[in-house]
Amino acid sequence: MSGGADGDGGDDRSRPAPASRSAGVDRETGDRALYRRFPALALAWRNLRRNRLRSLLATLGIVIGVLAVATLGVFGNVVSLSAAQTLGGIGDQVIVSPDENAGVESLGPREVQAVERAAGTRGEVVPLITGGATARSGGSRTVAQLYGTRTPRTLFEARAGELPERHRQGAIVGPEIAEALSLRVGSTVEIEGNEYRVVAVLAEPEGFSPVTPDTAVVLPPGEFREQEFSQVVIEAESGDAAETIAADVRERLNAREQRVSVFALSSVVAEIARFFGLLSAFLIGIGAVSLVVAGVSILNIMLVTTVERRGEIGVMRAVGVHREDVLRLLVVEATLLGVAGAVGGAVLSVLAVGGLWYFTPVALDVVLVPTNAAYVLGAAVFGVLVSLASGAYPAYKAAGERPVEALRG
Amino acid sequence: MNDSAGGTGDPARTERAVTPTSTSASASPDERDEPSVLELADATREYDTGAGVVRALDGVDLRVDRGESLAVIGPSGSGKSTTLNLLGLLDAPTEGTVRLDGRDVTAIDDREATDLRREFVGFVFQDFYLIPTLTARENVAMPTMFQGGDRGRAAALLERVGLGDRLDHYPSELSGGQKQRVAIARSLVNEPEVVLADEPTGNLDLDTSERVLDEFDRVREQGVSVVLVTHDPLVTEYAGRAVELVDGRVADRDAGGTVE
Repeated sequence: MSGGADGDGGDDRSRPAPASRSAGVDRETGDRALYRRFPALALAWRNLRRNRLRSLLATLGIVIGVLAVATLGVFGNVVSLSAAQTLGGIGDQVIVSPDENAGVESLGPREVQAVERAAGTRGEVVPLITGGATARSGGSRTVAQLYGTRTPRTLFEARAGELPERHRQGAIVGPEIAEALSLRVGSTVEIEGNEYRVVAVLAEPEGFSPVTPDTAVVLPPGEFREQEFSQVVIEAESGDAAETIAADVRERLNAREQRVSVFALSSVVAEIARFFGLLSAFLIGIGAVSLVVAGVSILNIMLVTTVERRGEIGVMRAVGVHREDVLRLLVVEATLLGVAGAVGGAVLSVLAVGGLWYFTPVALDVVLVPTNAAYVLGAAVFGVLVSLASGAYPAYKAAGERPVEALRG
Repeated sequence: MNDSAGGTGDPARTERAVTPTSTSASASPDERDEPSVLELADATREYDTGAGVVRALDGVDLRVDRGESLAVIGPSGSGKSTTLNLLGLLDAPTEGTVRLDGRDVTAIDDREATDLRREFVGFVFQDFYLIPTLTARENVAMPTMFQGGDRGRAAALLERVGLGDRLDHYPSELSGGQKQRVAIARSLVNEPEVVLADEPTGNLDLDTSERVLDEFDRVREQGVSVVLVTHDPLVTEYAGRAVELVDGRVADRDAGGTVE
């Protein structure tokens, strides 16, 4: 409607102007491109910069909230994982031993077979003959816990040498025995008058275990006078499987009379895990409260800023900017505060967890687990969502106001 | 604006219709050929203030013809701003009709009204209402920025109002007159058919006011209708035609009294 000739002339004259101030143009190029492509984002960013201190404080609230949720979540997780590691495999183990009160002294092939049937494919069955003896080497001697098993790999791990798949000859010694008698793979140890070559030295145990390797000397079962087993250890694939197997063994062997005692720690371990889960949730809950408080501060700031900019918003609406565009602009502002806070909080919480690893005896492998990353990421996402939710109401209120009312002031 | 006057037989109206005032003479031929850009027909606007119903406008008939400049004058509280809000599709009358290019737009929804404002109407306000975080050029492009914003046109418009060297200045770096010229450029960015100005010189000194009014004159010369709501006599002088409102009704300025 307003003549094209005029517009053309203006165009021609306007072009050289920015070129002559190229430095200024270069400086603002990024901002300009952003403005053209995402006007709401660019406008929101400038609005936040208008009141830097206020925006910074709102962001700080989210930083603290995200930091609290992420670090408390990770700390709870680390404590829980460390505990699980210390408790080791005992939750997965079932130990079947003869009930001496009932006059049963040992477990025969029939009992071992019954246990094997109960375990099925859900666990490995290791029949053990146990006893005590004195181990000698050179001039020194020490008391050893004897284990007789054909399959040492299921229960033990070697520090030196290799555990045989089928244990037929030689002795496997625990770390304390190896130290006391200065044994290495290939040395000779004398037990009950017989000499055995050391084929492997066991590793220190990582957690509790009913079959302690420290003072163990593991021999093939044929080396024992007894031909019946003194206990059967079942290494189940999970705590649940251990519980099922334990119940099954009881049913098979103790149905008519009490012949064996079955010992399973899985329920205790499950209880401990539940406790740590609760502790973790409680810590995260405390963190979440601080994040919600931060959300309220964003709500407050967005309310104040929309009231201050009432006329501006009114004029935007009057000259033809849609309600949804104004809504988007304001929600983007709140979300930007949230994203900045979430990123800041996530970075700080990674540093805090790094500090936890550096300054405490927490192991690296429980710090570098995917669940910890999930806590940090989850806290950041939660922070953004809280900001978005807090910005939604003021944005809705401001965008919904009729321009006439807003312009009246 | 007095089409229906003959039918009523009201002497005052009849006299006015035949009086060859400077503007109605030039406007008359258009009136028959094409509809007015904007028209209020028997528009009444009441506000429920809680303390009672206030009638801000009472049966106002008003036409804005293509390419004319019209001053709406009157004392405070006479309904000038309400008239402007109705003409600008910012508000709807309680009774009566608003027409845009002959189309009845009285009962359109907010979304459509927003679109029509962006397509047909330009606004200039007393307090300029520039966005402080946007440069002059961005302020001018603001009405269309969510539709992709034509920055080249914005720059051209600023050149046209004599601010070609202030494209990247922020409002805080501009004087009052410069701000108002930016606002005029903004009102033209959507190539409107009518520019509505609410006290455009209210915050400006005499010299600056004259420059701004010259700007409006140039706008009108491009074929854009200009409606100036004011109580500044200088503005009235610039306008081709003036309508006076008193207590929410159109007053007959020549007769010095109220019509109806």
